[in-house]
Amino acid sequence: MEEKRNIGVYICQCGSNISDYVDVEKVREEVAKINHVSISKTTMFACADATQNEIVQDIQENNLDAIVVASCSPKLHLDTFKNVAERAGLNPYNYVQVNIREQCSWAHSDKPVQATEKAIQLVKAGIARAGYSEALIKTKISAENVVVVVGAGVSGMRSAIELADLGSYVYLIEREYFVGGRVAQWGELFTTNETGKETIRRLYNKLMEYKNITLFTGAEIISNTGTVGNFDIQVKIRPRYIKPGCKVDPEKLQKVIDACPVEIPDVFNFNLTTCKAIYKNFESEFPEIPAIDPEHCTRCGECEKLCDDIDLGQKDEFVNIKAGAILINTGYDPYEPKTGEFGYKEIENVITLPQLKRLIELSGKELIYKNKKIHNIGYIYCVGSRQKDGENKYCSRYCCTSTIYTSIVIKNKYKDIHNFHFDKSIRTYGKLELLYREASENGDIFLQFWDEDPPVVSRNGNGTVVSIKDMLSSGKELEVDCDLVVLVTGMVPRQDNKIADILKAPLGRDKFFNEIHPKLRPVETVIDGVLISGACQGPKNISESVKSSLSAASKANSLVKKGEIELKPTIAFIDKNACVWCDECLKACPFDAIIKVQSDGKDVAEIVEAKCKGGGMCLPVCPENAINLKGYTDNEMEAMITALAD
Amino acid sequence: MSKVNTALASELQYYGAKEFSACYNCGNCTAICSLASENNEFPRKMIRLSTLGLENEIESSLEPWLCYYCGECSSTCPRQAEPGELMMSLRRYLTARYDWTGLSRRFYTSEIWELGAIFLLAAFILVLFIFFHGPMTTELTAEGGVKLNTFAPWKTIEIGDWIMAAFLGFFLLSNIFNMYLKVMVRNNNVKIPIKLYFTTLWDLAFNFATQWEFSKSDNKTKIAGKQFNISPYWIMHWLLMSSYVLMLILIMVFLGWFQTDIIYEWWHPQRILGYYATFGLMAGLIYFFYNRIKKEQESGKHSHLSDWVFIVLLALTTISGILVHFFRIYGLPYSTYYMYVFHLMVLFPMLMIEVPFSKWSHLAYRPFAIYFAKVKSAAEKMNSKN
Repeated sequence: MEEKRNIGVYICQCGSNISDYVDVEKVREEVAKINHVSISKTTMFACADATQNEIVQDIQENNLDAIVVASCSPKLHLDTFKNVAERAGLNPYNYVQVNIREQCSWAHSDKPVQATEKAIQLVKAGIARAGYSEALIKTKISAENVVVVVGAGVSGMRSAIELADLGSYVYLIEREYFVGGRVAQWGELFTTNETGKETIRRLYNKLMEYKNITLFTGAEIISNTGTVGNFDIQVKIRPRYIKPGCKVDPEKLQKVIDACPVEIPDVFNFNLTTCKAIYKNFESEFPEIPAIDPEHCTRCGECEKLCDDIDLGQKDEFVNIKAGAILINTGYDPYEPKTGEFGYKEIENVITLPQLKRLIELSGKELIYKNKKIHNIGYIYCVGSRQKDGENKYCSRYCCTSTIYTSIVIKNKYKDIHNFHFDKSIRTYGKLELLYREASENGDIFLQFWDEDPPVVSRNGNGTVVSIKDMLSSGKELEVDCDLVVLVTGMVPRQDNKIADILKAPLGRDKFFNEIHPKLRPVETVIDGVLISGACQGPKNISESVKSSLSAASKANSLVKKGEIELKPTIAFIDKNACVWCDECLKACPFDAIIKVQSDGKDVAEIVEAKCKGGGMCLPVCPENAINLKGYTDNEMEAMITALAD
Repeated sequence: MSKVNTALASELQYYGAKEFSACYNCGNCTAICSLASENNEFPRKMIRLSTLGLENEIESSLEPWLCYYCGECSSTCPRQAEPGELMMSLRRYLTARYDWTGLSRRFYTSEIWELGAIFLLAAFILVLFIFFHGPMTTELTAEGGVKLNTFAPWKTIEIGDWIMAAFLGFFLLSNIFNMYLKVMVRNNNVKIPIKLYFTTLWDLAFNFATQWEFSKSDNKTKIAGKQFNISPYWIMHWLLMSSYVLMLILIMVFLGWFQTDIIYEWWHPQRILGYYATFGLMAGLIYFFYNRIKKEQESGKHSHLSDWVFIVLLALTTISGILVHFFRIYGLPYSTYYMYVFHLMVLFPMLMIEVPFSKWSHLAYRPFAIYFAKVKSAAEKMNSKN
């Protein structure tokens, strides 16, 4: 490695932010003495247009081979000066930024003499690093303009349509036999008053118009071997046991369903009812063909006797897909209360909010539960969310609104039902506040409990009583007779979250998928090309889910549509002569970016460039010191340390 | 442990409280209310009790009587829950709860009962006059005035007055006693020494005579650019009140001196006092009509039927009284007689319904509430010292 001989150094005053405490002129004088420094200047604002142009001119006129700017944090202006270098024809990786503001002048404003000394050392170290800096070129890899969308719920379907519109080919993969996810389970929804079913039907019909969307139902990703631009995905499609050409005749279907001897709890109705092994959750469900649940079907053949379209001989199918990006849209599970939590599963008329919503869907003119007409409903909020002692510290966002909207639907649909809300404070944010107002005006009663004093559900003769110490009445102890107690359960991550392991997508402390930056990179994960949206990322309502799915769709499209993807050059590289393949580096890498290859007749490690994030975890564990990180080589680091120690 | 009761909220609708369930407990009403203190969340506490339907606690509360409807709470409420109107409605509700006959509840919650009772009582007076009136002489006195005392001798009328007064007094006092039981005996855990009832008696008398608490409202009177520390509402209210009290005294005690056939000079005390009372009543009535029609002040924005009945009857009584006076001195016999009958046909139902069962009972409940509150707080102080 040749050391750079011709370095330009700029010391910024930052108005007076730096120069009030650091004697910048003295710093300049000191570093000017270094041999390789051909130009050294102080400047009022290094980031000002005029200064930037001056640096460009200096580089070109003096053929500088590296530059150093001593100013603020690289977080603020690293890219600014990299661009300056690029404009002057210098490789941006031959630029080094030294932070003498946050880490010097501001930190030592009480000791200007020492601050100046420290600044001199820091700039010297920066110059030493610049001396060993290498020109790095971004690697480019080809990318398939194909996106795999995992989960055909409302946000998965919406993003699939958007991606197809933008010109990407989309594979939409749904684990269930029918599309729609959670939304298909709900009735009327705020603010459109459209039912969940209608919303899903609309999306499905639209989806079917696209030639560049392929939908798989009953399908799951079982493995991935590729990386961004070239994911290599294997999908397993479970059989439906019904021939694809089947034209559904509702009457005949009913006969077949009646003939099925298997009766199992209906998960679609949250176990309020039972269903058969051959099923369709509701008539207008999509795809229109029913399905037979292979897990519960006993292959007795009763159905086959009645219908030629049934084929119990169908087998699992496997499909391989090459895709440029993957969009995870796997949604959420409702929190399942523990036995005894507010009387759940111990007192017979305690149910959850999702169950209540299904109950309304299944009910006629009267709301009846377990053969009893309902008059008083008590809703206990924040069950499984905002837990004081449990793990779920987060707020599930949608539940206050959903409960209040349900209570309004109940008021409109049934006469003489009173709603009692036992809450921890109502969070119907934004426009949703109007619903809260409407519910109050309907005469719903809101009672508020303290974290440490939750309401108690108990049996009282034939009825059920909810008692509460009401915060809104100065802690008065109150009792409400309820013939239905509804636990307002929040959102939790999907119980079956295998996809996270397969794609190595990281989960947060709350076990939801984690984004890179909640504000600035809200739909990307640290795995390049793997994007997240909807409620798999954290509690969201439908419109928030769809917003994030559209954002992820455009992000995915922008990644793959050019046909090639640029990768950061600051990744690890292996000195194959030194490497003895001990596999320590592979164990340390969280991204599976290291593989074993043959070189000169021996096993050595190799970096998968598209997977390496330049995290540096492999460096210190290598016993042979065979790994280096581009942009942060041992030479650079050692030169800095030497300069600082001088 | 109290049971939440949703029935009360629907019942209170009939008493005029239609919006209070919109309350979301922000407490702005308490922050602005001049009656609120650290220990008394005025008026939010009453809203909450109403929402939860805790009838016994409401029944033993004095707060509604201490509120004079300045309306600050209603105009500050971010949800238009009209806390001021709830307090007004609770006064109606409490009047009905204190009344053991159940008539008050009927009058407040049913228009048919209220208007039916008025017409029935008016008809009763008409029947009495049809059968028992004196000769309708057209002969005038020497001064040219109508001989009213021949048609309706004041002695007979006075007897009727006293019978009515006994009736009214009985119902009003028994209702006040009922109030005492609900507030001071039941639902009360403060031990109250008897002597306190005597030492605070002055407050009762003073507030009875002046309704002074009214004057403390945030609404200040401005005259010629100067601001006085008294609310205009109180001035008008006191004018009205002093006028009808004066009228009441003249009719009950001095009817022989007041209802004469002699026409005195204009400066004679009989005429001067009569004119003052009619002026006070008219001025007060115009103010209160204006308030309810224009709806500028919060207190005039919502009018229950009972509010209109009260001022309409009082206005009709006053106007017919003025006409009787002038028809008499200008010698119009038949006009005088018919107007006199009409005057009593309005006056009688007004007093019979309003004083013990409706809005006029405030004149007693408000000072008693202040009195009971004083006694209670004095007792609490004594207990805390011990």
